[in-house]
Amino acid sequence: MAEVGTVVASLVYGVLLGFVFAAIAHGLNLIWGVTKVVNAAHGEFIMLGAYGAYFLNLAWGLDPLLASVVDAGLGLAVGVVFYFAFLYRELRGKDEIGLQSELVTLVATFGLSLVLVNVGIIAWKGDPRGLRYNPGNIVLGGLSVPLGGVYVGLASLGIIAISHVFLSRTYLGNAIRAYSQDIAAAKLMGVNPTSVAAIATGIGFAMTMAGGAFLTVYLRAGITPFVGLTYAPISFVIVVLGGRGKMWGSLVGGVTIGVLLDVLQVFVPVEIAYAAAFLVVIPVLALAPEGILR
Amino acid sequence: MTILRPTFLRLRAMSLRILPGHAWGKVRALGPTAQGLGLVLAVLAVVGPVLPVAIFVLLILFMIYATWAYSINLITGMTGYVSFGHVVFVGTGGYALGYGVKVWNIAPFAGVALGGVLGAVLALVIGVVTLRLRGAYFAIATLVTPLAAFYIVSGTPALGDGSGLPMNLGFQIGSQYYTIWALLAAEVALTWWVTRGRLGLGIRALREDEDAARAVGISVSRVKLILYILSGGFAGAAGAVFAWYVSGVFPDSFNLLFSLTMLAMIIIGGMGTVLGPMLGAVIVLIPHQILIRILPQGEPIAIGVSVILIALFLPGGIVGTIRQYVPDARRYFE
Repeated sequence: MAEVGTVVASLVYGVLLGFVFAAIAHGLNLIWGVTKVVNAAHGEFIMLGAYGAYFLNLAWGLDPLLASVVDAGLGLAVGVVFYFAFLYRELRGKDEIGLQSELVTLVATFGLSLVLVNVGIIAWKGDPRGLRYNPGNIVLGGLSVPLGGVYVGLASLGIIAISHVFLSRTYLGNAIRAYSQDIAAAKLMGVNPTSVAAIATGIGFAMTMAGGAFLTVYLRAGITPFVGLTYAPISFVIVVLGGRGKMWGSLVGGVTIGVLLDVLQVFVPVEIAYAAAFLVVIPVLALAPEGILR
Repeated sequence: MTILRPTFLRLRAMSLRILPGHAWGKVRALGPTAQGLGLVLAVLAVVGPVLPVAIFVLLILFMIYATWAYSINLITGMTGYVSFGHVVFVGTGGYALGYGVKVWNIAPFAGVALGGVLGAVLALVIGVVTLRLRGAYFAIATLVTPLAAFYIVSGTPALGDGSGLPMNLGFQIGSQYYTIWALLAAEVALTWWVTRGRLGLGIRALREDEDAARAVGISVSRVKLILYILSGGFAGAAGAVFAWYVSGVFPDSFNLLFSLTMLAMIIIGGMGTVLGPMLGAVIVLIPHQILIRILPQGEPIAIGVSVILIALFLPGGIVGTIRQYVPDARRYFE
């Protein structure tokens, strides 16, 4: 039987990792919740965020926290472009987003993910690249926690808190929530559906790419063009767990998956822990399709 | 055209002499698409062995891809349920053959059958739970299964841990060729059959509006589940042939990029059609063989760009678009 200390340590690491997962999934959650369509290329934008952090670190020695700010700015622009290139044609003028639109955007963004992975391989080769960032450790009650993980965990938490304040306290945030609840009614209240959806997509991308920068701290094996193929499904699982369109859901889902991954590894081989973290979504979808949060 | 016509008529007269009258009538009743696909399959069966080995081997790979394309077409094309994780059946079939051959010493044929059965059983298990979910939820539920399978086989000593199960079966391209030919022929016939008659109408109604289809008395859940089981079975059997073809099965058989290639084939060819998957397999596989030596990433990028453009501008794929804009050609493009 594993020691209690090991379990507690895994719990702490798992929560910190969960915060970063939550930030990444939060971007997906916002886009999915607002526009009602899924970005299947989500993982590739995590990958671009991670490479952004890597190159900023290489060129100017920025740490992932500062790089995430640059990534977020880029993400905002990329997200708006993405909206007009991929979603606009399908969503414009519609008050109900049907299954057909969902299918079309799913397929189109899946094509985008295929393109981006392979452009990544051409541009940066398949070999893993590590990022030099190690601010040391902090000792908490006999438990040594890497400070890098603490910083990015707290920054992720900060991003989610800011987005919550933005969505609930500002005019634009309210407009986004109104659009996500009822497009026709939002239009009647004077909300411009296109700009609201485009901005929401941009903010979602900003969070996704900033999350990608944070994730570099946890990618011990290095950054490759394939990171999206692992972390996109994790984000999907987190959003489903927490419930699509529920902003605290990303946090609950992220921490659940982070803790599940790290604590299970104490008891079972790492492969089984990953398999369990992916498969947990199926019973959740079958029993509580709206997520584990009320 | 004027030169071709008499030859064509003479050929038809010849075939009239080969087949008795009533049989010829039945073949003619199938319609041009089925006749064309039947002809392609017949030619493949007859000329395969006389072709140079390099082309013969390439044709095996082509038929494996085509079988996968028809397999994902059965569920995603017919019902609109995007099965992102279809590769889970491919990997399962491969591991079934690998384990059977290595541990129980069964013949590769039996391994292929085992792969098909396991694929169908897995589809039943996944389908019962996930086919109630719609749209992106179904896509996500199926997406996680090959990832989980990848980690499970990587951590299972009996399945070779991370290094897979290499096999030493020798050079059995003849048996491989006719095994996959039989699978493909059966699957094409099945696809053609399910698009006909009451069942075909039911499936079309289900794709357009599931609630309305249920309301008019189509047993939607049963139709979806049966299609998914068939789809999983064929993908598993073809996955087993693939493992036989490459003499081994590795955790990378669960690579998601495989799923994406399968999906790309039917998107390009035309979802839910009889001809589309075959066209898609040709379009995806032929450039693959050429570009893989020059620029390995060129082909997936080209596929990705085509998928984006087709999804946004020509959602019917090649076959659907021709049917839409050239009504006269509908008989030839089903």
